[in-house]
Amino acid sequence: MSSADWKNYEPVLIPNVKDIHKIDVYIKNGGYSALKSVLTDKKKWADSKSVVDEVKAANIRGRGGAGFNAGLKWSFMPPADGGPRYLACNGDESEPGTFKDRKIFEYNPHVFIEGALIAAYAMQITTIYVYIRGEYLAYIKMMEKAIQDAYDKGMIGKNIFGSDYSVDFHVTYGAGAYICGEETSMLESLEGKRGYPRVKPPFPAQKGLWGRPTTINNIETLAHVPSVINRGAGWFSSIGAENHPGPILYGISGHVNRPGVYELPSGIPILDLIHDVAGGMKNGKKLKAVIPGGSSTPVLRADQLEGITMDSESLRTAGTMLGTAGMVVMDEDTDMVDMLWRITHFYHHESCGQCTPCREGTGWLEKIMLKIKNGNGEVKDLDLLLDITTQMEGRTICALADAAAWPVRHTITRFRDEFEARCKKSAHAVV
Amino acid sequence: MPEVFIDGKRYEYEGEQRLLQFIQDQGMEVPFFCYHPSMTAPANCRQCMVKVGQPVKDRETGEYEKDEDGERVIRWFPKLQTSCNIMIADGMVVKTQETDDLVKRAQKDNLELILINHPLDCPICDQAGECPLQIQTYKYGPEGSRFEVKKVHKPKRVQLGPRVVLDAERCINCTRCTRFTEEISKTHQLTITSRGDKNYPTAAPGREFDDPYSLNTVDLCPVGALTSADFRFKARVWEMNQTPSIDISNGKGCNIDIWTRDNLVLRITPRFNEEVNDYWMPDEGREAYKRFNENRVSRPLQKLDNEQVNSSWNNAIATISEQVDGVDKKDVTIIASPHASVEENYILAKFASLLGMNPPVFTPHVEKGKGDGFLLTDDLAPNANGCRLLGFEEKSAAGIAAAVEKAKVVLLLSDHLADRGIITTDKLKDTFVAVFATNHSETTKNADLVVPITTAAEHAASYVNVDGRIQRTFPAKETKYSNRRLDLEMSEGRLDRYGTSFDNWITEENKIDCLPLWRFMSELAAYKGMENFAYTSGREIMDEIAAANDLFSGVSYEAMDEQSGITLDKTKTTVKL
Amino acid sequence: MEYEFTKEDLKEIEKIKAKYPEVMPATLPVLWVAQNRFGHVEPEVQRLVAKTLGLPEAHVHGVATFYTQYYKEKKGKYVLDVCTCLSCQLCGGYDILEHLEKTLGIKKGETTQDGKFTLNEVECLGACGYAPMLQITNDKYINNLTVEKTDKLIDMLKKDEEPEYEEIEMPLRKVK
Ligand SMILES: Cc1cc2nc3c(=O)[nH]c(=O)nc-3n(C[C@H](O)[C@H](O)[C@H](O)COP(=O)(O)O)c2cc1C
Ligand code: SF4
Ligand code: SF4
Ligand code: FES
Ligand code: FES
Repeated sequence: MSSADWKNYEPVLIPNVKDIHKIDVYIKNGGYSALKSVLTDKKKWADSKSVVDEVKAANIRGRGGAGFNAGLKWSFMPPADGGPRYLACNGDESEPGTFKDRKIFEYNPHVFIEGALIAAYAMQITTIYVYIRGEYLAYIKMMEKAIQDAYDKGMIGKNIFGSDYSVDFHVTYGAGAYICGEETSMLESLEGKRGYPRVKPPFPAQKGLWGRPTTINNIETLAHVPSVINRGAGWFSSIGAENHPGPILYGISGHVNRPGVYELPSGIPILDLIHDVAGGMKNGKKLKAVIPGGSSTPVLRADQLEGITMDSESLRTAGTMLGTAGMVVMDEDTDMVDMLWRITHFYHHESCGQCTPCREGTGWLEKIMLKIKNGNGEVKDLDLLLDITTQMEGRTICALADAAAWPVRHTITRFRDEFEARCKKSAHAVV
Repeated sequence: MPEVFIDGKRYEYEGEQRLLQFIQDQGMEVPFFCYHPSMTAPANCRQCMVKVGQPVKDRETGEYEKDEDGERVIRWFPKLQTSCNIMIADGMVVKTQETDDLVKRAQKDNLELILINHPLDCPICDQAGECPLQIQTYKYGPEGSRFEVKKVHKPKRVQLGPRVVLDAERCINCTRCTRFTEEISKTHQLTITSRGDKNYPTAAPGREFDDPYSLNTVDLCPVGALTSADFRFKARVWEMNQTPSIDISNGKGCNIDIWTRDNLVLRITPRFNEEVNDYWMPDEGREAYKRFNENRVSRPLQKLDNEQVNSSWNNAIATISEQVDGVDKKDVTIIASPHASVEENYILAKFASLLGMNPPVFTPHVEKGKGDGFLLTDDLAPNANGCRLLGFEEKSAAGIAAAVEKAKVVLLLSDHLADRGIITTDKLKDTFVAVFATNHSETTKNADLVVPITTAAEHAASYVNVDGRIQRTFPAKETKYSNRRLDLEMSEGRLDRYGTSFDNWITEENKIDCLPLWRFMSELAAYKGMENFAYTSGREIMDEIAAANDLFSGVSYEAMDEQSGITLDKTKTTVKL
Repeated sequence: MEYEFTKEDLKEIEKIKAKYPEVMPATLPVLWVAQNRFGHVEPEVQRLVAKTLGLPEAHVHGVATFYTQYYKEKKGKYVLDVCTCLSCQLCGGYDILEHLEKTLGIKKGETTQDGKFTLNEVECLGACGYAPMLQITNDKYINNLTVEKTDKLIDMLKKDEEPEYEEIEMPLRKVK
């Protein structure tokens, strides 16, 4: 299905089936058949590697933000040695603008559970943890119930579907820290520690949880797996944008009439998403800017949006990224200085504080932005801000510093006039 | 052998090595803060950035690909790498700040960021002068500051524990201190609290950081965030003389530096010795510095009409001579000491033997349960093994008490037997007791003669630790009879060397009126007309011991200096060390 | 005050420990058990957690202070965490925060005198499409706030009436 055809798209991740979140309904609608297939249909799935290969061919690009081919990531796991191996499912969902994985927890938890189980089998994993942000108490409870139900039905546990494969599945959760969405920070948090991201190498596939091979995937990434198994890699990769295929959960927020989460093919034109899918701009205002995929992805001006589609390639040409596909829409009244200050505040608040450029840089960025916002900025502050971003980018343990630097760099360069005007105004105000 | 190219020069290496460590081992430098060779490398300060590349190999032939000029094609890492945690690999090409402008820039940028929230209080900071942040800022840092907004404020003057004070504003969050309590002392007493730029290290609320090794965090701290409660504000580093020495507060013999100013010891810090104490020492050993300054016996004392009065060196010599000659040699008991050096013990034994007296005996100073398997030992004396190797008879407490009781004259070396309950002072009443001592005690108070001798901080002498390793001290503080400028063993500080006489503190009272035991015994021997008994240094005594005693063969000051101490061949002796 | 876990708590803690190959991973969940029991994780409670798990107190303290949802001091009965982050800011989160400051007569970060309400400004809670919103005491999300809706909420909470879980459908999803 091409992206242009999105109006006829029939959702698969969260299908239009009443009560699909209940395990019986899920099973009745073909749920857990993909798991059964990989575990028992030896003709189709000769070994666990064949599952990895299929998923790799489908090219499910990680939905957590980095867009890495899931099957390829799975193939990095070293051969099983009899010791424990882990799958850590990332349900931390804390990047501003992102609120999609919760829909899976709420409306179709079993598609994720099934996907995780298939992933676990494919990588010969012995224990799965799903790490959910602590604020999602409602969804934590839903997931606990869903996993218990799956245990009760024999989908999790010993010798699933009579195969020799056994696995455990536990829900764990955070307690308020955006950084724990960074995969190695999440591992530290899971291990009961402060969420300090780890230096890489070693990568989690070599040394993850408790020093053992571990793979981390986003909830949505895993939730796509059952349909890839059921319908084949070819089906998945035929949906949406070629380089970034498959359905995507778009989260749309900000100044639109119908904000929310939408399951649609990848590669939909941004303007279609705003004007058609999300019901157009609120109060008939004009569109000013869009952050396409969570607060760290560089903002685009309205005049940069023509022909840009929601997939990594198109967005890269436009000078931004798909990120989490959590799109934030801003109307003509939006004050870009205030908006950027709030983003810098977020990253300052959420830096784990482990490494210098991020701990110090995020605070410095916010303080200068506050000065500008309060009308005390000078034009030279803008260049200093840009300088600081270069001092942070690519020099830290994890990508939070980059995530903090990009919006500053790009919002200033793309809305330079507005920033300068605010600074000049203040220069006059002082006189 | 695998090779690595650093700043255009080729080096060979063996085994697994961290790049930063390798660079340092070649005598080069890359600025850094959080890395410490004995702990894990969290790479959190981000200061040690370098550019790293790997040569490209042809997949089929396995040969290095070459460019038109015949040079290897290098694939550079897209980002700069922290050299502290990257392992060197065969063929790796590295550019440091010496040859790469981007690296130089990155290091400067990072220092700017470290400094934005760092107080500008070097003039009142204890760390100034030995501060990695200060030094590296001078070398690699930015010229000015572009930080014109408000600094983060954090707790200051926090008494973390009995011995360590925290100024959280100075902290650069390198986690060396918390890693120390996790990985080295294993008390797990410290953690980083809070998040982001509010981070700082702390003990659990309401708990003291009373780790027996707590002061090592002060040494580790690359800034002045952790300071010693005792040493705080006492001296600037550049005012002090730094002298290598050995911890004499227990049997481990941690290698230390003694820091003096105006002939007072102001602090003790550990000195690296991989074989003994690595970079660490127990807090107790540092507190021992007071022994060198306080409560010292200065000038001989003699008991007259049951009261000790000041005496003279001549009188002390005459008195001992008289007392020893006045009794049957068999009635003289000589008690050697695990608290004194090999040289001092040896000289006493030699004196006894030349005069036909009983050889010295000793009793170790042990407190069961004190040891922790790390750097604290049950043995509270630095040289029990030295006494054993010299062949002295080791007696129980009761054995010593009995030997004292039956003697008419007791010569007691540096061991406060009454204070540690081995003898009771009333037992000393009818006996003539001469004590060679560094400090006043109950024992010296009850002696008939007290001869002041030098401490480990005032002489060069050797001590054999619990593991049979012999190590030596250097004179760190002058006595009335020594002179920093004349004694080549003594260290000269910056002020000694370059200052005017007004720059130095010169307090005569700080120089103790005491002699090295060998000097005193040589004078005594001369008085008695003995031959071949004139010693002016521990060095010649050690040479004599090494020549005469097989167990010490090969030991000399030169050899000890070269090898940072020598582990003696225990197989040569049946004595249980 | 001496804090102690109940028998049920201890049973739950055993269940938590069974999920992991080591004890340390129980730190976060057991801090949660403690906070659910005592309403906060003040230092004394942190100590109890350390003691119960046999872990260093400093470790538990470090963890408790890293995560914002743990209350390191006593809070009001209802903690109102108002999101003012990106999407909520755009949709009026600050208006809601200011309105609450006025209504409750406290500034953000403070607790009302009667101990009923604590007001906080928080970062994105993952409800950006339903902005502005707030969360009550680490539990229910109240979405699409307006001044009226906020007032109604405060009235309810004053009477200790707990709001319902708000389900928000996906706009295009047409359940058959
Ligand atoms: C600061 C930071 C925050 C992140 N937060 C999340 C998150 O909340 N959820 C998520 O799935 N991935 C998050 N990621 C990405 C993860 O590190 C990781 O790439 C992802 O979970 C891998 O799964 P995927 O390959 O399936 O996307 C974050 C990364 C960074 C640097
Ligand atoms: S970049 Fe920031 S969040 Fe990531 S490890 Fe460093 S300080 Fe922590
Ligand atoms: S107090 Fe010193 S050693 Fe500890 S983290 Fe701070 S700078 Fe590092
Ligand atoms: S020394 Fe390498 S990052 Fe700190
Ligand atoms: S910005 Fe408020 S919930 Fe995301």
